[in-house]
Amino acid sequence: MKLLTKTTLYFLLALALLLTASGFYLFSEFSKEINNRSDKELITDEIKWIQYLESEAENGTTFILKTPDLLIFPVDAPISSFPTITDTYEYNPKLNNKISYRQLSHVVSVSGIPYQITIKKSQEQKAVLVTNVTRTMLFVFAGLFFVMLIFNWILSKKLWEPFKHSLNKIRSAELQKMEAIRFEKTNIDEFNELNASLNYMTSKIYTDYVNMKEFTENAAHEMQTPLAVAQSKLELLLQDSNLNDEQLQSIIQATTALDRLSKLNQGLLLLAKIQNNQFETNEAVSLTEITEKYLHLFLEIIKDKQLIIEKHFQSDFRVKLHPLLADSLVTNLLGNAVKYNYEGGRIEIVITKDKFQISNTSLLKPLKPENLFKRFYISKNAGETSNGLGLAIVKKVADANNLSVTYKSENDVHQFTIEQK
Amino acid sequence: MKILIIEDEKALQESIQKYLEHQGYVCEAVGNFISGKEKISQFTYDCIVVDIGLPYGNGLEIVKELKNMRSKAGIIIISAKNALEDKLKGFELGSDDYLTKPFHLSELNARINAIIMRRNLGGSKITQFNEIKLDAEAQHVTVHEKTVDLTEKEYRLLEYFIVNQRRVLTKGAIAEHIWGDEYTQVSNYDFIYTHIKNLRKKLIDAGSEDYIKTVYGSGYKFSDN
Repeated sequence: MKLLTKTTLYFLLALALLLTASGFYLFSEFSKEINNRSDKELITDEIKWIQYLESEAENGTTFILKTPDLLIFPVDAPISSFPTITDTYEYNPKLNNKISYRQLSHVVSVSGIPYQITIKKSQEQKAVLVTNVTRTMLFVFAGLFFVMLIFNWILSKKLWEPFKHSLNKIRSAELQKMEAIRFEKTNIDEFNELNASLNYMTSKIYTDYVNMKEFTENAAHEMQTPLAVAQSKLELLLQDSNLNDEQLQSIIQATTALDRLSKLNQGLLLLAKIQNNQFETNEAVSLTEITEKYLHLFLEIIKDKQLIIEKHFQSDFRVKLHPLLADSLVTNLLGNAVKYNYEGGRIEIVITKDKFQISNTSLLKPLKPENLFKRFYISKNAGETSNGLGLAIVKKVADANNLSVTYKSENDVHQFTIEQK
Repeated sequence: MKILIIEDEKALQESIQKYLEHQGYVCEAVGNFISGKEKISQFTYDCIVVDIGLPYGNGLEIVKELKNMRSKAGIIIISAKNALEDKLKGFELGSDDYLTKPFHLSELNARINAIIMRRNLGGSKITQFNEIKLDAEAQHVTVHEKTVDLTEKEYRLLEYFIVNQRRVLTKGAIAEHIWGDEYTQVSNYDFIYTHIKNLRKKLIDAGSEDYIKTVYGSGYKFSDN
């Protein structure tokens, strides 16, 4: 529920309670006033009747008067000094409703004879009063309700504008471009507070992100020299003619592991550099040429595995891409297509003016799309020549250069497509 | 042949020096920019191996200085940074090669040899190992003065072996030198075996001794004893 709707609902609830209370108050005040008047009238009436009775009683007659509103008769009861006035109801069978009355009852002595005097006055106007008060209150409520609706609409448009503005900015925020996001000052304190916090948060996130990026690059970098030292020492050690076979093998295994580590490190460094936008270029490269270059380079191994290469180069696909990244993109995809193929398998390469597609047969199960481009997500069958960074690099290269990369797998054929976004 | 190594990482400097000396070079090594500059102003070298990140200065400055002196020395930059800009800058200033750390010592040795060969304008470009002769210019191989017909890969393999003679070379180092980084990522090193087998056969058929020794595990050694 919208904040404004919620506040309005609470407001309306309070308003309803308030209006009901004031309705009751109004009613009771009016009703008191009406009662007062009726009572005064009743007392005036009674006095007139008593005067009348007294003037007539001089003749020595006793009365019994009875009309719907008046009852006077002699009674054998103690005389009361004050009249009692009460509310009574009478059922009207014709109208099938109750009519309320104000009734005065008094036992007075007229010329020594006690008389019971009962006078009624209809209170119908009171019923009218209730309707009037209720109607007025409802009217006020409805009026306020509509005014609130319109007000809300305007408020949510105007007042919440900066809030929505900020919200949209947050929604479209990207980690790499976070430093450019600024939440402007508004003329509402709460939003200013929010925006200030958001500004602080984004700049914090951005510096953390930059630090982390730099850290990855620096860490990978700093590892190169110790790696070089270790590798050179092992290479020297390898030359010792006194080594036995077991020792030799240990050294060679260590060298191989170091080689892998250094490749891995280079891969990480490349990823970090792509992320740090260190490969910006304005020149376009031809993916067709690069593909041909690497097909030539891998020729030996392609022949060795007896792979069938189907080339469908319909037109050249030129991409604005740093040459190093273009090489990386093609070698990773083509390399995987060769590496994960089986003997006598097939590789199909389709190049159109805005698409580069490579499909290969493989005995490997389809890759899981959600993990596909993650670093170090290595299929169990990938073997030790994989460092788990190839596809992550492909993805990063694509992302950083306005290209899309998609994966499809059908009938043991794995297909990667690079397209211009 | 005299080589100067300017590298601040002592352990690496020692490794390089030891390896190169074993291959018959006379080596001097210094660990910072200032001593490096002193050395090049006082002595002449055939090749200079220089790191970019040095105490008291940048290795590229030394390359510049050498060019200003019109030095004939070959220059190889070694750097932890695989930065294209540095590479281009180095070449622009007149360096001959750029090697990113970590590297195989055998690779550095091969590169130094290539530079010295290339710079040795007047002299012979023939490398000899007993009865085997390699003509770098014509990419031509003879055994007992008889031509051996080698493929390009086999030629480069033999060249690498002879340059790094009597040293144990790992399959990884060989594969990287001849086929390059990308290739080694795609395949295991088994493909080397076929090439080495062919090369060995061709050399023996031509009357050479069997110099290619398999080192237990996964290495090779080109040696005559």
